Parts: sequence; structure tokens; C-alpha cells
Amino acid sequence: MNFRFSGKAVLIVLGALFILVSLFMKKGERIKGVAFFLAWLVPGAGHVLLGKWKKGLFFFLILGATYAFGMWIAGFRPVSFDDNPFYFVGQFGSGATLLIAKLRGAEKAIIRDGLNPSWFDPGLLYVCVVGLLNLVVMMSILDVKPAEVAVTEADVLRPAAAASAPPMAPAVPAAPVPVPEKPA
Amino acid sequence: MSGVSYLFLFFPIVLVILLVLEACRSDDPKSIVKRAAANLGVLTAVLVLGGAFVYVINRWF
Repeated sequence: MNFRFSGKAVLIVLGALFILVSLFMKKGERIKGVAFFLAWLVPGAGHVLLGKWKKGLFFFLILGATYAFGMWIAGFRPVSFDDNPFYFVGQFGSGATLLIAKLRGAEKAIIRDGLNPSWFDPGLLYVCVVGLLNLVVMMSILDVKPAEVAVTEADVLRPAAAASAPPMAPAVPAAPVPVPEKPA
Repeated sequence: MSGVSYLFLFFPIVLVILLVLEACRSDDPKSIVKRAAANLGVLTAVLVLGGAFVYVINRWF
């Protein structure tokens, strides 16, 4: 038998497996699975989904700025396999960087005019590190406590009326009932 | 100096790495910045001392 594996087929199988596994996860865990996938697609998006939007924004801005700086050094061309195979694979850590690399094709990166040639390799490293750091950010999503996720889901599902209702008064212990004395 | 100007790129990338790693394990912005800066100082000291050691070895031995 002759098996042919293409990148698209592997991605489809992995996606189907991911959806299947997500369906059998607990409710609190399922949103984590979606957040994990979203975090790969766009750095920081997973944290935003889990309600930690400040942290998500921080990750997005810091990784985006690093990627933009690396791309600026490399003449806005992503790392190709010929430039450096290891840095090329490092880009796969984020869907956004992978998409940009795919859209740009197999153009070879070149050092920006006016910059010292010794900056070229660090520029490629910047692009690669963004992908690798995004993997760490994705892993940190798994550390978000289930209770926090449950609270987030409950907040979304809770009706507005219940949310605005005043809190219940604390229970007051009942006063002891006096027992009437029996006549002798 | 321009030949080794790429060494200045060490600081931003290490700072970014340390900030992201600290942000993954902590929620307090103050402690994130504090710990990242402290670790950057340690790593820079290691780099400078290592560079000085290699320079001395190459220069005098």
C-alpha cells in the first residue's frame, strides 16, 4: 500500500482529533481547549477568551513588537528554510507567523539597507523566538485554574436580573422558645 | 564597535523572553517587571564576565 501524507491532510486530521477530544472534555476544560488553539492562532487570544484580557493584550503587543522588529531587520521577509532550518521551524509556534511566512512564499530574507550585516542572524532569531515564546504562552493557558474558568462561564450564562439581585441576608439563629412550666 | 553592534540586540530579546516567562507564572505586574529586570541583570553579568574571561584568556595566554 502506498500512503501519501501532505501537510493539509495532517492538519485536517489533527483538527478533527482536536474537535473530537474537545467534545469529550468537561465544560470548564473545553473552553481551555478552544483557548489553547486560539492562542496558537493569535498570540494572547487564548488569554482574552479566558477573561484575562490584560495579559492577552500584553502577550499580543510584546510578541507582535518583537516579530515586527525581527521582520524589519530581515527586510520584512520571513525566515526561509535556506536561511536557517531551525529558525524556519521556530516560526511554526504561532499561526499568525506561519500564515505570514506562507503568504510571503519562499523569498529569502535580506538584511535591511543601512544595517550592519552582523544584525541579520539576530533578526532571524527574533522572528523565531516569537514562535517559540508563543508555545510557552499556550502552555500557560493550561495552568489557568478551572475555578477561574468556571466563574467566567457562569458570568456569561448568569441572567442580568440574578446578577443585580441584592445578596441574601445572613441566617439569624432562632431564639429559644420558652417552655411553659407544668403545674405540679 | 560597529562590528559587534549586534550585541546590543541581546538586551531587547532577553528582556522580552524574561517578561513573557514571568508573565506566564505571575499575575502581578510589579513582580513581573522586578523579577525580569533582576534576571536580566544576572544574565548580563554572566555575559560580561564570560566575555571578559575569554578576552583575558585570548589576550594573555
